[in-house]
Amino acid sequence: MKTELNSMKWHILIIIIVCILIIPVVFAVSNSFKTLADAFSNMFNIIPANPTLENYIHVFEKLPFLQITINTFFIAAIVTGFKIITSLLAAYAFVYFHFRGKNLLYFVLISTMFIPFTVIMIPNYLTISCMGFRDNLWGVILPQLSDALGIFLLRQSMRTIPRSLIEAAYLENVSDFKIIKDIIIPLVKPALISTGIIFFINSWNEYVWPVLVLKSKENYTLSLALQMFISAEGGTEFTIAMAVSVMTMLIPLVLYIIFQKHIINTFTMSGIKG
Amino acid sequence: MKDIIFDHVLKAYGKNVVVKGLNLNICEGERLVLLGPSGCGKSTTLRMIAGLENITDGQLYMDGRIVNDIPSGKRNVSMVFQNYALFPHMTVEDNISYGLKVQKVDPREIEERSKAAISMLDLNGLEKRKPKELSGGQRQRVALARALVKRSDYFLLDEPLSNLDAQLRVHSRKELVKIHEMYHQTFVYVTHDQVEAMTVGHRIALMYDGILQTIDTPSNVYNRPANVYAARFIGAPSTNILEANLNEGKLIMAGQHIVPPEVWIQKMKENGGDMFYFGIRPEHTKITTDYMDNALKGIVRYTEDYGNKVGVYFDINGKELISVCDNNVPATGEKVYFTPDYSKIHLFDYKTENSIGYPEDLSKHNYGVVYELRGRLAGDRS
Amino acid sequence: MNRISLKKQNGDNGRAYLYILPSLLVFAIFMFWPLFRTIYLSFFDWNMIKPDKKFVGFENYIELFQNPLTYKILGNTAAYILILLVINFVVPYILSFILSMMIKKGQNFYKGIIFLPSVISLVVGSILYMWILNPISGPLAIIAQVFGVTLPVWSKSEGLALVVLSLITSWKVFGYNFIVVLAGVTGVSQEVIEAARIDDVPMHKVFWDIILPMSSATGLYVFIITIVQGLQYVFTPIKVVTQGGPNYASSNLIYHSYHEAFVLYRTGMSSAFSIITLVLFILLLIIGFKLVEKGVYYEN
Repeated sequence: MKTELNSMKWHILIIIIVCILIIPVVFAVSNSFKTLADAFSNMFNIIPANPTLENYIHVFEKLPFLQITINTFFIAAIVTGFKIITSLLAAYAFVYFHFRGKNLLYFVLISTMFIPFTVIMIPNYLTISCMGFRDNLWGVILPQLSDALGIFLLRQSMRTIPRSLIEAAYLENVSDFKIIKDIIIPLVKPALISTGIIFFINSWNEYVWPVLVLKSKENYTLSLALQMFISAEGGTEFTIAMAVSVMTMLIPLVLYIIFQKHIINTFTMSGIKG
Repeated sequence: MKDIIFDHVLKAYGKNVVVKGLNLNICEGERLVLLGPSGCGKSTTLRMIAGLENITDGQLYMDGRIVNDIPSGKRNVSMVFQNYALFPHMTVEDNISYGLKVQKVDPREIEERSKAAISMLDLNGLEKRKPKELSGGQRQRVALARALVKRSDYFLLDEPLSNLDAQLRVHSRKELVKIHEMYHQTFVYVTHDQVEAMTVGHRIALMYDGILQTIDTPSNVYNRPANVYAARFIGAPSTNILEANLNEGKLIMAGQHIVPPEVWIQKMKENGGDMFYFGIRPEHTKITTDYMDNALKGIVRYTEDYGNKVGVYFDINGKELISVCDNNVPATGEKVYFTPDYSKIHLFDYKTENSIGYPEDLSKHNYGVVYELRGRLAGDRS
Repeated sequence: MNRISLKKQNGDNGRAYLYILPSLLVFAIFMFWPLFRTIYLSFFDWNMIKPDKKFVGFENYIELFQNPLTYKILGNTAAYILILLVINFVVPYILSFILSMMIKKGQNFYKGIIFLPSVISLVVGSILYMWILNPISGPLAIIAQVFGVTLPVWSKSEGLALVVLSLITSWKVFGYNFIVVLAGVTGVSQEVIEAARIDDVPMHKVFWDIILPMSSATGLYVFIITIVQGLQYVFTPIKVVTQGGPNYASSNLIYHSYHEAFVLYRTGMSSAFSIITLVLFILLLIIGFKLVEKGVYYEN
């Protein structure tokens, strides 16, 4: 009985933390379905008394919102696809080949995770401008076609495959392409999926680099569009901002809920044996 | 000729040399067992044949060609791995046929070969299962089937039975021999288990510390060990080895002496020198608590019951020896008299540790020698 | 033995480079080359538009170290680091210990929810908290009114702005750090803990003497990542909410580099600030690795 009470106490503590973390999201969803007046007068009604889609409709009227969503999706999809392919190839080389400078190269690539983005921000901005990709989605995409985190996570995952499986394939004269396709990919699939989802979500949420590159509204991503509704006073467009917030959160949350277990496992792996 | 020749092959990882100038001929169609303790270089040797390890120095010939730079896939070898290396995401059937499919073998041919392998290894009904739904023995048979369908000329096995329980191991090694009798590939088998080596191999290559110690038939490896290491490694409990000094027809060991038969003294004189290693297997000795002539005297320290026999550990002036006996087991602390079967002793050169050879006819000289020599000994003692 | 790769003996190492090439190309163009170019730019006076740059040697650095604003920003950076570490390193450690010791049921459920904000954009987070913490019309202000308390206008007050921005960032960072630390803490062998409990070692001692040293490799990783990533994450709420204000009171090294480059158009100063940031991060990593060598416990 005593231990039961003890454990209750801790459960309550954790539930409080969970609430602090989750309440903003609940409020956002709730307010996005309220009128502005309703949102202020019935602030604490989680379930809106008179739910309305007005805010969402307004968003689409005011902004090229479909275009913005497509932009965000386009960038995230291309970036994710490339990062997965480049990371998979590099990880394969780092795990199964022996070559000069391998450890040094790996170390150098992984250390880039600790380089603050301000260090590369100006030259990359100049490079992208020089290439003519300023205010262009490709300007956002190009610097992100590979990712040290991806190389790291996929390498970790590949290392759990017994080496003899690959050796068995070598004995059959199987090409690298087929080894990757028939053996590596099926066996690292969980890591591959979650790494991909992590990339997708991160790109979807990205703010810093797009804000430098993209200038016109038709080229905006969701994070940039959202920024337009910000005013410290709360503002008259507050419920609309909530609607945009909900739409920005929607895809990452759905992906997270579906692949939650994979994602948590992969992130856990990223911290252990680092 | 589907043979394999190692010509001064050296394998090093950086400064760590794991195979030191190996010379070894493996004949077409034979079953050769690479035997040795872990870390002796036997697996590396096998993996060099497979092309999974590069060769630091020397030449490896297969089928008369130097294959140092031929990739594994082109060497016409199949291999059974210690952990079987089955593809966990493929069914039994797919595991067996994957290699053939990649090689674009005619589908009917694949079908036929897989069926044959599946029925030979008694895997019928398991075709659609994944490796994790199989028992250890079944997995081992799938690995074997996968290696067999390739119909390669060289069949390499890296401790293929070490993950099985004892009973299954005995059964499987018989199966392996049967399979080889059907196909007669050149068969190279790595193990650390001497019983497996004795039962499977036509010849056993014993390795230690990257060096080939001896290569011979199982019977010779056991009965005629080429050096001290071979004598010690093969057999359980291990062969007793004592430093022996030949002095006026007597062998002085651990501060006592015995008189060996004349033929042995002759052999030792032929070899030259007066220091030797004297070896005798525990099962080729006799100990009694009654007085015996021409015997070493010791004190029993410890006995070990093997069920059918008993191992007696006794101490002769600080040297521990083992004798295996089946009756009249002495008790701990008792004084015992120890005598070897002189037809089964081994003598090794003190410097090289190699066998000095064996006299031609040893049949007369077993324990009987004690009585023959009684007269001489009586004179000695006075 | 296993560490030796296979392909060497197959006589074909070139392929390895081929597979790394795509990644290497991206890194070379958008990571390594820019890194050197920023170092280069830090020795010039330039506004990103003028056709020619003026070489000024170490002047940018000298100016940087003579300007009192730099010290304010360094101080802010230290304050951000401190707050982020307390919320996202110390608290997750203690919470992980509690969760792994006391709570057997529902661990995965809690993990799942606590991690959830990590997948949400920080711009969204900033907007949500700006509303919740709005000193006049936000829900917290209304609750406070009931108790007769008025909330300060935090976004306009020095010190408070920094704290609130750290809180917003922590909302996103906390979950990731928590699950990583939890994995480290639960990774400590249950037997070792049971052995201690049989000897009646008190809980706080179990934490200090067993859990902490045995999970210190993970701990060190989270410590470093909290500083390195945390400072960069803070950029978003700063940019979205205060733009470094009031009077640079919520700016940090990262934001200030941006501010110099894209608001004041002083690429030389911005580059100098970035390089200083990089040097600080490198020092931090070296100290971290020295700690690892000294006695951090590795499972393997």
